[in-house]
Amino acid sequence: MKLLRAIAVAPALGALLFVLTHAPETVVHAIAVPAAGVAAFRAAQADSAATQPASKSSDAPPTWSRDIAPILYGHCTACHHPDGAGPFSLLTYDDARRWGPQVLTVTQSRFMPPWLPEPGYGDFADVRRLSDHDRDLIQLWVGARMPEGDPPAAPAPPHYDNGWVMGKPDLILKFARAWTLPAGGTDVYRNFILPYPLAQTHYIRAMEIRPGAPQIVHHANITIDRSAAMRRQNAATWQNGIPGMDEYVDAGDTFDPDSHFLFWKPDTPALVEPEGMPWRLDPGNDLILNMHLKPSGKPETIDAEVGLYFTSAPPTKQPMLVALERDDQLDIPAGDANFVIEDSLTLPVDVEVLGVYPHAHYLGHDLKGWAILPSGEKKWLVWIRDWDIDRQSIYRYRGPILLPKGTVLHMRYSYDNSAANVHNPHSPPVRVRAGNRSEDEMGHLWLQLLPVNAPAGGPDPRLLLEEAWMRNRVRKTPDDSISLYNLAAALAGEGKYVEAVADFEHILRLSPNDERTLTALGVALDGEGEWRRAEQSFRAAIAADASACYARFDLASLELRHQEWKNAEADFRAQQVACPEDAETHADLGTTLADEGRNDESAQEFRRALALDGNNVAALIGLGTIETEEGENSEAVMQLAAAVRLAPSSSDAHTALARAYAQAGNVTDALAELRTASHLKPEDPELHSALAQVLASTGNVQEAIAEQRAALKLLEDDPDGWNNLGVLEERTGQKASARADFEHALQLKPDHTQAKANLARLGSIN
Amino acid sequence: MWRHISVLLLLTSFSLETKGAAQSNFGTDLQGNPVPTLIVPNTRLVVLVFAASDCPISNRYVPEIARLNGEFSPRGVRFWWVFPNPGDTASVVARHNREFSIGEDTVLDAGQKLVRLAQVDVTPEAAVFAVAGGSLSELYRGRIDDRYLSIGSERPQPSVHDLEAAIEAALAGKPIPKPLGPPVGCSIVALGK
Repeated sequence: MKLLRAIAVAPALGALLFVLTHAPETVVHAIAVPAAGVAAFRAAQADSAATQPASKSSDAPPTWSRDIAPILYGHCTACHHPDGAGPFSLLTYDDARRWGPQVLTVTQSRFMPPWLPEPGYGDFADVRRLSDHDRDLIQLWVGARMPEGDPPAAPAPPHYDNGWVMGKPDLILKFARAWTLPAGGTDVYRNFILPYPLAQTHYIRAMEIRPGAPQIVHHANITIDRSAAMRRQNAATWQNGIPGMDEYVDAGDTFDPDSHFLFWKPDTPALVEPEGMPWRLDPGNDLILNMHLKPSGKPETIDAEVGLYFTSAPPTKQPMLVALERDDQLDIPAGDANFVIEDSLTLPVDVEVLGVYPHAHYLGHDLKGWAILPSGEKKWLVWIRDWDIDRQSIYRYRGPILLPKGTVLHMRYSYDNSAANVHNPHSPPVRVRAGNRSEDEMGHLWLQLLPVNAPAGGPDPRLLLEEAWMRNRVRKTPDDSISLYNLAAALAGEGKYVEAVADFEHILRLSPNDERTLTALGVALDGEGEWRRAEQSFRAAIAADASACYARFDLASLELRHQEWKNAEADFRAQQVACPEDAETHADLGTTLADEGRNDESAQEFRRALALDGNNVAALIGLGTIETEEGENSEAVMQLAAAVRLAPSSSDAHTALARAYAQAGNVTDALAELRTASHLKPEDPELHSALAQVLASTGNVQEAIAEQRAALKLLEDDPDGWNNLGVLEERTGQKASARADFEHALQLKPDHTQAKANLARLGSIN
Repeated sequence: MWRHISVLLLLTSFSLETKGAAQSNFGTDLQGNPVPTLIVPNTRLVVLVFAASDCPISNRYVPEIARLNGEFSPRGVRFWWVFPNPGDTASVVARHNREFSIGEDTVLDAGQKLVRLAQVDVTPEAAVFAVAGGSLSELYRGRIDDRYLSIGSERPQPSVHDLEAAIEAALAGKPIPKPLGPPVGCSIVALGK
C-alpha cells in the first residue's frame, strides 16, 4: 500500500526537503592508526613527560625520538604518510626535519591538526586539537634545530595500508566514469552519483570511501537520494558529476527522514555506525557524493570508490537529523563585517544529541549552538570562533547529551562580508544571499537527535520532531510550500488529519494544480473519513497531471476499500495504461477481481504481480487464498508460507495460511498459525471464533469455550457466535448455560435455524 | 618560517659574464649539464620562480606561471623554474615536471647560489631581473599573488597579482610596485644539515 507521500526532509548540507546530506563517521579512531598504536604513542609521551621533566629546559631540548615522533604519530601521520591525504609524509625523522618549520607555523596558528570547535563548548569524541604541551614541545624542538635524539628510543612508526582498512567490503560502488579536475582555479564542489545496484534492501553498518586522489579530496558529504531524483533530473549528464555545493533531493513519498551524518574526511576513511544504528539502502536509491576538491597544480583524476559493509540486523534505534537555520534572513550587505542570524527550536520530545554539523560557506565567522533546558541550565553544543569551510567536519559527542522535552535549541551565526575576510569569494565584496553555490551563503546547525523515553503506543517521536521543525520553518516563512507540505505530511502521519488538510489546502491556494499536494490532500481526507472528497482530490490530481500514478493508484485503492469494485477495476486498469507497470497495481486489481468472485482473472493478476516482484505479499496471500478455495492445497500452503516468511507480522498472512492448513487436514499447524494471527490482532473476534472451532475439533473444548467467549466479548451481537458457544458448553455438560446461549442467538436472530434446532435438541435431551 | 619582507627591497645585481667559472653560477639543467646563461637574445627580463617538487603551495602555482609565461614570453620575458632543495635531484624534478606538464625552463640550484643572489627563502617565491648592460638587476622579489596570506589563510582566488604587476611595470619602464604581502609557502631547505 502506498503511504502518504510525505516528503521527509532530507537534511544535509542544506536545507529541507531536498537536500544533500552528509554523514560522518562514528568510530574515528581504530581506522587508519591502530588504536592500540595510538595509545602506545600517547603512553610513551606521557612517560617521557613524567620521567623527563627537564625536557623543556634549555639543557635538555626535546628530541624527535623521544618527544616529537609520538606527537606526529598520534596527530599527524594518519594523513601525512606516503600516498596519504596529507601533501607530504611526516613518518621519518628526515620528513620531520624537512617540514619542521611548517609544522611549527601551523601548530602555533592551530591551522593543523584541523579542529575548529573551541575547547569547553561541547565534549566531543576524537578531538584532534593539539595540547598546549605538545605545541610547546614542537616550538622548543624547532628552536633547538630539530635534534633527532636517540633513534632506537623512538616508537615504531604506525603502519598505513592504503587498501580497504576494514577488509573487503560487501559491495563496492564506483563512479560511472572518472572525472578530471582542472590543474588550477578555485576549489570545486561537485556531486557524483553512485546508483545502488542491488535488488534487495540492505542495512549498512559501515562505509568506507577511497577517494582515488586523497590529497585532492578535502571532504565529501554523502546523501541518500531515495528516489534517484538528481539522476533523473540530470539524465544526460550525471555520469560526469553535477556542480554545486549544496544540492536538494526529493526525499521520497514516505516519512523516512535522514538519520545519519554521512560525512567523509581524509583521516577517517571508515564511517562505522554505533551498534543498533545501521542505515538503509533500498533498491532504486542513489548515493550522492558531494566532494570538495582542491586543484593541485596538475590535472587530477577523480575516481572514488565507496565500500559498504552490511549487517543483517535492522536498526533498533532511529535517530533523525534536524536543522536550525535562518537562510530566509541571509541577505548580507557588501562590507558588513558582523551580520548575525539566529534561530531556535523547542523540542517536543526527550532526545539524546549524538552529533552536530555546523555549516556555512565562505563568509561564516562565529558559529554558536547551545541548548537551554527547562530547568534553565545552558548546555553548549558547539562554538566555532573562526569558521573555515576548508576544515569543516561533523562532530560527535563523547557521550549522548540528554535534552528533555521543552528544551530550546539555539543557533547564532555571524558573517563577515568585508574585504578583510580572506575567505571572501568576492573582491570587492558584493551583497550575498542564501544559495547552493559556494559564493552564496548558508547558515545551518544540523543535529543528530535520538528520541528517547517515547511513551509506548504514541506516535513515532520523529514525526513530532518533524512537526516541531516544520512549524518553526512555517513560522519563519509562512508560504514556503516545502515546509507546509512536510508539516502537513507529519500531521497526517500522526493522525491529525484535519490540520493536515488545512495545510495542504494552504499550499493549493498558492499553487492550485500541484499534483503531489492534491494527491496528499486526498490521502489526508481519506484519513479524516471524507472519502468522497478524497476521491475528488485524487481526480483533480489526475486532471492536473495525467501521469499522476500515485493519485491513480490511491483512487482505485480507495474505491476497492469502499467496495466500488467496478470503479476500482476501471481505475486500476487506467493506472496500468498511464503508468509504468508495477506489482502493487496488479496485486490490488487481483484483490478487486477476487472480491467480485472472478477467481481466474484475479489469479492471473496475482501471478503477474509475482512475476514483477516475487515478494509481493498481497499477491502471495491473494493467490494462496484462491488456491485454497479451489482445493489446490499444497500450492496454497507454499504461497502462503512464503507470505508469512516475508511478512511475519501480518495477521492476514497467518490467517490465510491457517485456512490452507486446516483445509489440508493439518490441524496442528493451522492452530499454530491462528494463535499467531490472534496474538498479532487480539481485537479480531473472527480469529477467536476460528480458534474456538479448531480447538474444538482437537477436543480442547475448555480452551475453545474461552476463545468463543473472547470473540463474543468483542462482538456481542453475533448470533452464530452465541450458537457456537452453546454447542461447546453443551458438550461440557453446562446445559443451562447452553440453553441461555441458544436463546440469546434467537433473540438476536429469531429465525436462526441451527439455534432453533439446538434448543429443540437440548429440550429433548432433557 | 615565512619571511616578512620589510619596508625596502634590497636590489642586487650580479654580472652576466658567462665565461669560464661563472657558468656554474646558474646551476644545472635536468640532464646534469651546466646552465651557461639565463638569457637568450632579446631577453628583456628574467623571472626566477623558486619551487619545490614536494611543496603543495608551489605546485598549485604551476598553472599561474604557465599563464604568465604564455602572456609575457613573446614580450622578451624568460621564466625559469628554480629547484633549490637538496632532495630535488634531476630525476625527481624531471618526473615532477612531466607530471605537472611544466614547459618552462628549469634549473637545479643545488648550491643555492640563485637563492642567495635573489635573496629568497620560500617556495614559491619569484624574483624579476632586468637584463641590461651585461648584468642582471633584481627589480622585484616576493610573492606571485595574494591568494595565500599565510598557511591556512587562503583566498578563493587571488585579488592582487603582484608578480604580473611587477613584470608589466618593468616592461613599461615604470616604477616597480612592491609586493603587498609576504610570500607564503614552504621554507627552502638549508644546505649542510
